[in-house]
Parts: sequence; structure tokens; C-alpha cells
Amino acid sequence: MKKLLEIALGIVTSVGGFLEIGSIATAAQAGAEFSFQLIWAIVLGGICIIFLVEQSGRFAAVSGRTLPDAIRERFGFNYFAFMYVVLGLVSLMVLAAELGGVCVALELGTGVGFQWWAIPVALLVWLVMWKGTFGVIEKGVSLLGLVTVCFVIGAIIVHPPWHQVLRGAAPSLPQHDSARYWFIAVSILGASISPYLFFFYSAGAIEDEWKETHVGINRIIATGGMGFGTLISIAVLILAATQLLPRGIKAQHYSELPMLLIPVFGQKGFWLLVASLGIACFGAALEITLQIAYLTAQGFGWNWSENQRPLDEARFSFTYTVIIVLAFVPSLLGLDPLSMTVFSMAATAATLPVSIVPFLFLMNDYSYVRVYRNSWFSNAVVLSIIGLAFVLAVVTIPLQIFGGG
Amino acid sequence: MELVRDCLDKQIDDQSKRRMGRVDGIVLVLEPDRAPRVAYIELGVETLMNRLSVRLGRRVARWMRRWRIDPDPFRIPWGKLKIGLNTVIAEVEAEKTPALEWELWLRKKVIGKIPGA
Repeated sequence: MKKLLEIALGIVTSVGGFLEIGSIATAAQAGAEFSFQLIWAIVLGGICIIFLVEQSGRFAAVSGRTLPDAIRERFGFNYFAFMYVVLGLVSLMVLAAELGGVCVALELGTGVGFQWWAIPVALLVWLVMWKGTFGVIEKGVSLLGLVTVCFVIGAIIVHPPWHQVLRGAAPSLPQHDSARYWFIAVSILGASISPYLFFFYSAGAIEDEWKETHVGINRIIATGGMGFGTLISIAVLILAATQLLPRGIKAQHYSELPMLLIPVFGQKGFWLLVASLGIACFGAALEITLQIAYLTAQGFGWNWSENQRPLDEARFSFTYTVIIVLAFVPSLLGLDPLSMTVFSMAATAATLPVSIVPFLFLMNDYSYVRVYRNSWFSNAVVLSIIGLAFVLAVVTIPLQIFGGG
Repeated sequence: MELVRDCLDKQIDDQSKRRMGRVDGIVLVLEPDRAPRVAYIELGVETLMNRLSVRLGRRVARWMRRWRIDPDPFRIPWGKLKIGLNTVIAEVEAEKTPALEWELWLRKKVIGKIPGA
């Protein structure tokens, strides 16, 4: 029973981590512009992230180390510094987008411009980090994130043409706006295969004191959590294809997003959208802030744990404070949160090889993972993801120029 | 033992398992007619920057001196170290060494002054 509860909670928290502003925005744009045709990109991203999250959890449970720890040890400081700068900047952009998402949800709910919410939202994120424990952040906020299940219920209620939905799961060439189609596909992959997810997950396994006995549970949680998150993203796309596309709404602005749920649930749909957007972005903002602080502290060998008092790990708490200050500036200046989101998802896609290549080496290193090394199948999958990551790194910037608008 | 594989960049803890940092550098002593001897390990920003580029290391050290921060790395004699599988244990008390200087400064001057710390 205890194990079942642990698995259920783990799945819920993984969903909470998966669903954020990037996956909602990119899935909505995909459905609004290309109907069901881009479902394959969400499915592909989902499969990739299931494998990477499972491996990062297995690595932490068996070796007792997080990914940044091992990357610094095995690849040396120079590679770590390069990864730290790249991943830190991209994560900061994604965090800025998440904070913007919370502000937009508040603007939709209150009518007060989103810039005005930048400082209160940043303060709230900081306060939860300052006073909260890892359990509060991981489980509390993620449980609230269950409200996003409303997208799945909505997608079932609208009775989409399921044969077309299924057909969308197989990759196909676009009939119009090729550059835009591929740019959205790349953004979806960037939103799904977020490095912050597996870095956060490996640190979480250490915070939760996972041991070798958690290898099986980890597999179920990673597959169930990321799989369910993928399902919710597909539901957003279905709603966009059935509710936005026929009305000619392209989801180019957040104010258009409530139309995903209003036709299905009426006025309640509006509030469900506001709550889903706000809570999902808030949860993701906490996780990304923690992930950047973890990455810094683990890479430099400082004391770190969200379960300790800020006073006992001054450098760690100072780091997340600075990160929050830096990340709320774009919202304060009034930069469009949707543009920030789409840009940061593309930047994530462009920098994926830096954080994925180490998996291939670490997951086959006997001194860390012993008998839990990758099978030939898992290695083949990681190699395929690395190949995909290099393709994304090459094509993202040209697609951003020709299809980003 | 392979120094780079088994020691460089490993987590370094003090005798009461307090995290001190990572092994940022290893100092070898070369003496005539004798084999090279491992003398110290180093922890410090300048050592790290030197690994990226010596010019960058010099620039960072100059910048630190301008702000009256001692850029010299903290050295721990090799004899005071126990090299484990993935951790290095130093027979020192972390809080009494320069390795935690920044941590203690932030604790006293910044974090400790915020309510609820």
C-alpha cells in the first residue's frame, strides 16, 4: 500500500513537472494552425523524456549521485562550465517564461496588466523556496496541478475524430507553411525534452533518499508521469484543433487560450484555464529555480538541499534568490510572455546535445550504475535521442528565422 | 591510483562530512633526480579559471584583488586526504578553513539578516 501511494504521488509530481507553459503554448499553437497533424511531435518528445527521466532516476538511486555531480567528475570542469553556462542561460529564459505565464494567468483572472504581477509572483516563488521543504514543492504544488486533467476531460467531451487523432500520431509532411510547421515541431520537442526535468528528477531522487530498491518504482513513475503529461499535452492540442482552428484563432496571444475550454465548460472553462495555466507555470517556476540552484551547488560541491534551513546553506539559498531576481525582470519590463516561451523552447531544443550526450557515458559506467547499466536497447534509444538533438541544434535557428513569426 | 580519474573534480568533505567544495586542482612537486610528488590539492576560483584559460585566471585574480578578495587557492596537504570511491575526505574542520569563507560571509552578512533564515 505504501509503495502504491509512493508510485501514485510520484506520477502526479512528474506530471506536475512535465506540464508547463511551454508544453501548453506549443501544443495549442500546433492544434490551432495544423489541426491534429503535429501529435507525432508530442508523442516523440514524450518517448524521449520517459527514457531520459528513467535513466536519471536510476542513476541517482544506484550511485547516490546527481547528474551534475557525475558530469563534473567524469567530464571535468571545462565541460561542466560549458554546460553550466548554456543550461543556466536557457533555464533562466524558461523560468522567465514560466513567471510570465503565472502573471498572464493573474491578468486573465483579474484584468490587471501582467507586468503589475511580476513582483508579487517573484516574491511568492521566493517565499515558497525560502520557507518550503522539497516535499512541499514537489508534492503540494504538483497535486494542485491535477487541475490540468480538465484538458483531458475536455478533449473527450468534444468527441474529436479519433481516426484523425491517431493518424496525427504518425509523422507527416505539412500541406502549407512548411517552415512554421517544422518550427512548431521543434518547439514542441524543446518543451517536452526539457533538461530541467531530468536534472530536477535526479536531484529529487537524492532529496527523497532513493536507494537501489527504488529502481523498479522509478521506472513506473518515470513512464507513468511523463506518459500522463504527454497525454495532457495531446489533449491541449486536440482542444486547440477542435475549438480554436474552426474559429480562426491561432493562439498567438495568451488571451486567446481560454477559448480552449470556454466552448466546452462555459464560464467555468475560463476559470479552469486560468487555474491550470497559473498553477502549472507556478509549479514549473519553482522546479526550474531549484534546478538552477541545484546545478550550481552540485557542480561546485556546495552544501545543498531544499530540506535544510537557508542559513545552513547560504550559498545555495543566495543562488536561488539571485535567479528569481534575474528571471522576473523580463515580465516587469512587459516583454510578451508568449514570445518568451516560444523563444525559450526553441533555445532549449538548440542546446539539447550538451545535456544529453553525457547520458551515454554515465549510464554505462560500472563505477556509478554497476549492474544497472543501460541495455543495448536503452543505449540505442539514447543514441537516437542524441542524433535527434543534433538535428534540432542545427535546424532550430534557421527555423526560428523563417518560421518563428 | 589515477590522479585525474580518482581525485580531480571529486567532492571534498571534511572529517564531519561537511561539504567543502570540489578538488579544483592538484599540485605536483618536481625535484631533481626524484619522481614527481603529489604535494597538495587546491580549492579556489583562480585554480578553476586557470583550467579554462591561464589568461582568464590572471584576469579573475586581478579583479578579485581589486575588490580586496584574496585570490590564492586554499591548499590541503596530500597527507591529510583520504581518497574514497567517489569522495575525498580531508582531515580538517571545514568552517575553520578558507574553503567556506564565502559561505560564512553570506550567512553572516546576507542570508542571516533575512527573516526566517
